[in-house]
Amino acid sequence: MTATGPVGARNTGRGWRWSLALLVAALVGSIALGVSFGAAEVPFWQRLLGGGWSEVQQAILLALRLPRVLAAAGLGGLLAVAGVAFQALLRNPLADPYVLGVSGGASLGGVVALLAGLSGLGVPIAAFVGALASLVAIQRIATSGGRLTVFTLLLTGAIFNAFSAALIYFLQSVASREELSAIVFYLMGRIPSASVATLAAIWGVGCAITLALFASAREFNALVSGEEGAQQLGVDVERLKRRTFVLGSLATALAVATAGLIGFVGLVVPHVLRRWLGPDHRLLLPAAFLAGASFLVLADLAARTLAAPTELPVGVVTALLGGPFFLVLLRRSGAAIGAGEERDGGRRA
Amino acid sequence: MPRALRARLLGVLVVAVGCAPKALPPVVTERYAVMAPAAAETLAELGVADRIVAVGDFVDYPVRLRSLPKIGAYDSPNAERLVELRVTHLFTTASEAGRGEHARLGGLGIRVVALDTSTFDGTLAAISRIAEEVGRPSEARQLLERMNARIEAVRRRAEDRPRRRVLVAVGHDPIFVAGPGSHLDALLRLAGGENVAHDAVAPYQLMSLEMILDRAPEVIIDSADNRPGTAHGFGDGSWGQWPFLPAVRERRVAHVDPWRLLVPGPRLADMAELMGRLIHPELFGPAAPEDLAGLPVAEEPAR
Repeated sequence: MTATGPVGARNTGRGWRWSLALLVAALVGSIALGVSFGAAEVPFWQRLLGGGWSEVQQAILLALRLPRVLAAAGLGGLLAVAGVAFQALLRNPLADPYVLGVSGGASLGGVVALLAGLSGLGVPIAAFVGALASLVAIQRIATSGGRLTVFTLLLTGAIFNAFSAALIYFLQSVASREELSAIVFYLMGRIPSASVATLAAIWGVGCAITLALFASAREFNALVSGEEGAQQLGVDVERLKRRTFVLGSLATALAVATAGLIGFVGLVVPHVLRRWLGPDHRLLLPAAFLAGASFLVLADLAARTLAAPTELPVGVVTALLGGPFFLVLLRRSGAAIGAGEERDGGRRA
Repeated sequence: MPRALRARLLGVLVVAVGCAPKALPPVVTERYAVMAPAAAETLAELGVADRIVAVGDFVDYPVRLRSLPKIGAYDSPNAERLVELRVTHLFTTASEAGRGEHARLGGLGIRVVALDTSTFDGTLAAISRIAEEVGRPSEARQLLERMNARIEAVRRRAEDRPRRRVLVAVGHDPIFVAGPGSHLDALLRLAGGENVAHDAVAPYQLMSLEMILDRAPEVIIDSADNRPGTAHGFGDGSWGQWPFLPAVRERRVAHVDPWRLLVPGPRLADMAELMGRLIHPELFGPAAPEDLAGLPVAEEPAR
């Protein structure tokens, strides 16, 4: 058994359909809540059913809230799917989208753009370029003799993240107060009221990556038993590793470029789903997209409303929600494992 | 030894001591380093700018200070440079983060004057404090009298006018606004405005764009952009995407260089008058484009 659990036949057929239907309903509900509530009081449902909105209310709903909620949904889905992919690739439940170094490159690109005075699309584009540069560099470094070594990949990613963080600290140390504030808020994570083009990119790329990873779902299931075991089952392990790394990194790059560093989505959501639905990636991947989308929509709703008229960075909210929740999960998992070990010890005795 | 000889020797000794060159008391010339831009302007107004020998990275007015050696940013002045330049006084902004460093500099014999200019009253108090440190109390009193008279004139003229809802933006992406406790909040209120961020919990705080739209400001003073080449003046700018806002509809969106409003010091009265012109132009006269522009690039005449 690996840390991601045994691959069994749990939740197949009708069970899967119900699970996915429930997650779709949860996402629709989250989006409805997200649009209904915000810093300003807008009588969303009353007016939708009975009358219209004022010009101000229309602008708030259609130009600010709805694009932001849809962006949160797309980005949450991307991060959760990237988390599933990296946990499968690294066969490690602690893997999240930021562990392999691409987020460091994206953050550095975004910070450089902010200091260069770029605004609008300049910052996300620069962040995405930084992410791509990191992706290419990390893959080259971690590939040896045609093999992408997981251990080297992890180490290289950690070093890239540390190096990027050091450069960011340096840039922060020479920034003016205004620039420093902009950098801090960028790094803390914030969902934008995205333009149509950005939304199209988020959802288009998100769906494409999820589908591409879904195509490898059976191979991820095989990889749970180890690289040799997967190879014996006919999986081209090297091709799978490269593909997973690239697709997961692209998802991470897009998320960080658009919204900064939003943690815990890619770590907590796959864990919760694995406990509920089992480790079969054919269900886990689409479920992660839906659940991650709902989670981030609700987290952003909290960020927008808890401290109104100010807004909390959404990365702070996901950490405050996800951190304790993850600790509770770990404690329960630890208790279950401990109980299992005691039983095994008793039988041996 | 014969008595006469002793007397002569004693006399010679007394004369020798009397003629010996006496050690002069050390002449202490005060040498100032200034981290806070507002403190630099205050020192210049008090007529002691010639004592400034070093400035922080963000001090660039008066213009003649730009050529002075730089000693670092805000809470981290370079101690070695301060000692090398024989600085006697460091004028800086009070902050928790800088306390340890300030204590260390005090141990090196540098008098650290930490000033709180985050509020309107704090700014006025800082001018008095600086004047005490540099020995110019009467100049400070006269300066404060002139400032208070001009500020009071603005307040009296505007007090009977209907209050206009005002947004003062000091940052974009996210939008940071001036809230209660900031000198900008005090200025806009005395100039006949009502702050749309009246319930902010910090002097400068992020504000939701939703909330800004909902509160429909009638005047927008956008002081968020000080990048070189940025156009300052009247015009909707990015606020034009919300044409229903009263400020956009009535063409009361002003892009003001941060230097004009965000350095609370001797120019506080200028800021009050500028606020009056932006909030109630029908009363104070409209602001000219040069009133909104950045700091002068040319050397100004000596005081």
